[in-house]
Amino acid sequence: MKDSKKIRIALTKGRLEKDTVGLFEKAGYDVEQLKNKGRRLILSIPGTDIEVVLAKAADVITYVEHGVCDMGVVGKDTIDEHSGSFFEVCDLGFGRCRFALAGKKGENFYEGIGVKTIATKYPNVTRRFFESKGMDVDIVKIEGSVELAPLLGLSHGIVDIVETGTTLKENGLEVYEDVSFISARVIVNPVSMKLKKAAIEKLVEKMEHYKGE
Amino acid sequence: MKSYDLITPEGTRDLLYEECIARRNAEETLRGIFLAHGYSEVITPALEFYDVFNNKTRNIRQESMYKLTDEKGRLMALRPDSTLPIARIAATRLKGCALPLKLFYTQNIYRSNPKMSGRDDEITQSGIEIIGGERRRSDLEALCLAAQALDMFDSSEVRLEIGDNGFYKFLIKQLQIEDDEAIRVLIKNKNTPELKVLLEEYSGGEKEPAAKMLLGLPALFGAGEVFDKAEELFAFPELKERLAGLKQTYDALCELEKGERITVDLGLVNKADYYTGIIFRGYIEEYGQAVISGGRYDTLIGSFGGEELPAVGFAANINAIAAAQSNRVAVKKPDVLVYAKDGRLTDGIRRCRELAKSGVTAEFFDGEDINAAGQYAKERGIPRIETV
Repeated sequence: MKDSKKIRIALTKGRLEKDTVGLFEKAGYDVEQLKNKGRRLILSIPGTDIEVVLAKAADVITYVEHGVCDMGVVGKDTIDEHSGSFFEVCDLGFGRCRFALAGKKGENFYEGIGVKTIATKYPNVTRRFFESKGMDVDIVKIEGSVELAPLLGLSHGIVDIVETGTTLKENGLEVYEDVSFISARVIVNPVSMKLKKAAIEKLVEKMEHYKGE
Repeated sequence: MKSYDLITPEGTRDLLYEECIARRNAEETLRGIFLAHGYSEVITPALEFYDVFNNKTRNIRQESMYKLTDEKGRLMALRPDSTLPIARIAATRLKGCALPLKLFYTQNIYRSNPKMSGRDDEITQSGIEIIGGERRRSDLEALCLAAQALDMFDSSEVRLEIGDNGFYKFLIKQLQIEDDEAIRVLIKNKNTPELKVLLEEYSGGEKEPAAKMLLGLPALFGAGEVFDKAEELFAFPELKERLAGLKQTYDALCELEKGERITVDLGLVNKADYYTGIIFRGYIEEYGQAVISGGRYDTLIGSFGGEELPAVGFAANINAIAAAQSNRVAVKKPDVLVYAKDGRLTDGIRRCRELAKSGVTAEFFDGEDINAAGQYAKERGIPRIETV
């Protein structure tokens, strides 16, 4: 059972975790445990009622939705792909990148009347994007390097996360169009927000204040 | 072909023993409260025509409904909501009856949730509807019953939260926004950063004040101080008037119930947009979603072709109440096991019936010999064996 005084926050393992821990450090929290976590998955910040949980991106959403974690830090990409009901209260500004439609360099994606095939790791984002354009597309879910799909002739294009575009360039691909912009967000379980308003607002304010620009 | 005969569909479950007791306790307690306040019970079919739920003013997502067809090929749905069928009844069979109608129900609703999300597709709800009453009186009565229902949760942290989507609807009208879904979702998710970006187009223009008020809605939640903040934010007299009305209800509710449990959220904007005024939710600490949800729906009954009747109601999630209590109930063991000797079968059954009538829980032993009866009584924890 959850301790009713504790605020449990789930961080997306990896880069977002590092950036968030950096933010906590700037805010003056004791992040010793978070930095030397070993293989532990649940950690505490001494001197506070904050408990930190480390999870995979999509799981952060699941834990927050079910209320076993009060808050989470997760990328907008994961929110867009998995959706769900929770409050999205703060844009932390780090982990910036974008979803883009890309394909072989120099080709006109929208040419012709045939149904296009799109390879992606993000079928929901892709479906919504083309639905908003009124376009029927075939979506193929790929798990690994999506860039392979158009190169091997499986798809006309891909929808994927683009940071610098280097991978695309090195494989003879280019961005046709931006789909949406991504950054790290703070999400909050609606019931937690209501029951632990003061503590959660204080933490969110702190994060907002120290996030920098 | 693969057979699925050993499992239940995802989102459904078998309830056994203590779970059943907790479920029935919750149902009966609420039923008792509603009956004691003069409400009449209704039961609507689990199977309804799809059209009951699918209409511009009855916005239930079609993906979330379980659908099937009848022999004429007409689309049917397993009811995803109980308020809509009751509005249908109010507009048809109960048309012309003395008002207000005070109805209650305890029945299942069915929602198709995304798989593996751990949510129930079959939820037992118990709730009330007050149809045709004076608004402020009905609102307060409904809220007090919701507070009583919430008292059933033995939780350290309980909140009954009230809001009113009239503020939101008024401001959207001021901004002349046709398709407000994107804005509604941002307000619902308290996503102020993105809302700010979306409303930027109004800055500097004559609609800027309204946009500013809209941007302020998500943060207007908490205890009574919210009213002061809202009073400061709202510049339109229509909003001030609505706010004063809500404050009256809030104050009355705080006086009647434990005041520290009552909160306000003016950023509550439900998906079911048949709500036309006050909206409320009940929360408990152990459950990640609202366990009570309700509100005012003044145009719904009119949308079924009847006279427009003001109405308010709420539903409590019995699954959640029962889950919170199931470790605190126990199955009652029989007081006595009746064993009939060979040739005394009818006497044995008769004795069992006598005992049961006298208030003793008596189980008839269906096995053949007395040793087996002893073994069975031991395993079941039955304290006494009576041999006939």
